[in-house]
Amino acid sequence: MLYIHKTACISPQQTHPEADLNRLMASKNNMLQITEPVYADIPPGVLRRMGKAVRLSVGAALPLLKNGPAPDGIIIGTANGGIEDCIKFLNQIIEYNEGLLTPGNFVQSTSNAPAAQIALITKNKKYNCTHTHRGLAFENALLDAIMQLEENVENSYLVGSVDEISAYNFNIDRLAGCFREAVISNDKLFETPVAGTIAGEGCFMMTVSGKAAGAEARVVALLTIHSTDENLVRNTLEQFLHQTGFSENAPDLLISGENGDSRLQKYYDAAESLFPETASIARFKHLSGEYCTASSFGFWLGTEILRTGKIPGIVLKREGSRRIERILIYNCFRGLQHGMILLESIIHTR
Amino acid sequence: MSRIMITGMGIISAIGNSVAENRDSLKNKRGGISRLEFYPTAYAGKLPCGEIKISSETFREKLFTHPDSAITRTGLLVLHAAEEAVKDSGLTPDQLAFRDTALVGATTVGGMCLTDELFRDAHERNYGSPYTSSYDYASVTLAAQQRFGITGEISTINTACSSSANAILYGARLIKRGYAKRVIVGGADSLAKFTINGFNALNILSSGLCAPFDRNRNGLNLGEGSAFLVLEREEDVKGKKIYAVLSGFGNSNDAYHPSSISPEGEGPYLSMKEALERAKLKADEISYINAHGTGTENNDETESVAMQRLFGTPPPFASTKSFTGHTLGASGAIEAVYSVLGLMHQEIYPSLQFSEPILSTGLIPLHDYRQQAVRHVMSNSFGFGGNCTTLIFSKP
Repeated sequence: MLYIHKTACISPQQTHPEADLNRLMASKNNMLQITEPVYADIPPGVLRRMGKAVRLSVGAALPLLKNGPAPDGIIIGTANGGIEDCIKFLNQIIEYNEGLLTPGNFVQSTSNAPAAQIALITKNKKYNCTHTHRGLAFENALLDAIMQLEENVENSYLVGSVDEISAYNFNIDRLAGCFREAVISNDKLFETPVAGTIAGEGCFMMTVSGKAAGAEARVVALLTIHSTDENLVRNTLEQFLHQTGFSENAPDLLISGENGDSRLQKYYDAAESLFPETASIARFKHLSGEYCTASSFGFWLGTEILRTGKIPGIVLKREGSRRIERILIYNCFRGLQHGMILLESIIHTR
Repeated sequence: MSRIMITGMGIISAIGNSVAENRDSLKNKRGGISRLEFYPTAYAGKLPCGEIKISSETFREKLFTHPDSAITRTGLLVLHAAEEAVKDSGLTPDQLAFRDTALVGATTVGGMCLTDELFRDAHERNYGSPYTSSYDYASVTLAAQQRFGITGEISTINTACSSSANAILYGARLIKRGYAKRVIVGGADSLAKFTINGFNALNILSSGLCAPFDRNRNGLNLGEGSAFLVLEREEDVKGKKIYAVLSGFGNSNDAYHPSSISPEGEGPYLSMKEALERAKLKADEISYINAHGTGTENNDETESVAMQRLFGTPPPFASTKSFTGHTLGASGAIEAVYSVLGLMHQEIYPSLQFSEPILSTGLIPLHDYRQQAVRHVMSNSFGFGGNCTTLIFSKP
């Protein structure tokens, strides 16, 4: 069992260092971007050389690791790592026609740089891995930690995710048809069902262990599936809930990755159909925007709801009657990659 | 706990398009590093590479991909190697589509091998190329996901040059923890302006043939390739051919520098040590080490130091990167295939281009093909960011 201890979420909303979701920060040109925090723990000379994905990761991780025991591993999910540095290096290649180039952007762009930099700064010589499986990069990082904790309950890990928007990857994804053609405001994301969504970015970090003492919540189970068939997705989800003992008593809350893209609505409708009226439904992509590891924002939201006992009004799609003790986070990325995570409060045990 | 058995392998590299061709080249000391003929770069005449002399168009025809399908060269290499592995293991379409079949790929370049198309799409206003969804790392694993109709757990790993060693490690864990019964694991990278220019800017590319563990080594040669292995639980493989057991693995971070390994080889030492512990083996039980051995000043010296720390006098070791070039995200899986071949045929493969040992360590790599008893083979993969991984394969 994976127990969640401390969490940090740097997002386009007010989530770091303290969360205040009463006010919705607005998107601009179909992008929800992060206002970066002051990185008090990173020496300025080191900070200057870091790309955004690395800055965000180190900035979110260091406070969690302060005063705690050194984790037995660092596991990060990121689909693209430092894509800004990557394309800056590419620009150099083209601009100087493969001439004499500086390697800084190249080294910063490798997607294992966030996990590697955290290890370097904290002198952590343990397990270190970076999962880059697009819309399931975070889920795989989480599964990696779950499996290691099954092997050794005494261990603890730093687990997280990061993906950044750059003008370049926004443009490539725009050409691929991922975003709305018309500029919309994020508070209207769910109003008109048309193709496309809005872009986002974010970084989530948490410390996890195999022990309940001092924990806020736990992950009961996780499952991923690759399929375009909504019936298969629905059946898999139903089976998943059944196998984890939830079929009689569906989770009290569904945190849905619904993103206003009409092409994906059938998957989210299929997930919702498994929940009785007594269960609540929340959604969050109008807060985070869409990106490959956006499900980690939904995951963070779940831990916040369990911690505070309240669902922020801004994320509520449907209010049920039950107290929130068990949460399903369901996210579908581009109609192929589906992640299902069951979170549970550890304060109350049935 | 069930043992993890290897029941299928597939590979393509500069020294052959199949497992059999690769073995033949290794036995006969036939290296594949040469002048670039296919990949268009300003360095074509200057930096030799381990290039596969088959055009992407030929691959596309051979692999029957739909002409419109936007599979990049890296994805094509994945399909080529994974198909051989799946066929070799005799996995049925039903097995492949079942939830208990997992797939773990690895790459450091992914679809970015299409450097020029990526540049254009990053700056284009109106019409994207067909490749707008194919530049990322996951795209190359998803090519195999689609080809085989896999629905189970799937990941793509990028820990730089140890990526596919970690894919094998993660796949083994999926089996051990019951998230899969069988898993197709491996990795791929193709030549790219991105990596050629990146490594060149770091001054670690050799203008001649790389000479791993040689005193006068002056850098690595980049290569391209892909390899995949099929891992299965021991209880599920009754009656099947079994090539080897994955008996141990270790993963450690060197935590020293973003692009070089610490002088004492701390990360390499720790990953080798952990792998031995997990395999419940003593250092002197290792028959052969397939070293990371890139041919750079930094790697070969620090890896030598780490081997001496752990083994005292290391067993026979060599770097097969002197045949294939450094295939980055593919190298861990390619060298896993070579390690398994050594166990299957009771033989060990040499390093090419070696003449004089490094002064400080005096270690001499194996430089001739040899037939001998092989019980346990260790395979090292170390990457930028200090990501060190060691795998141990054993005779079943």
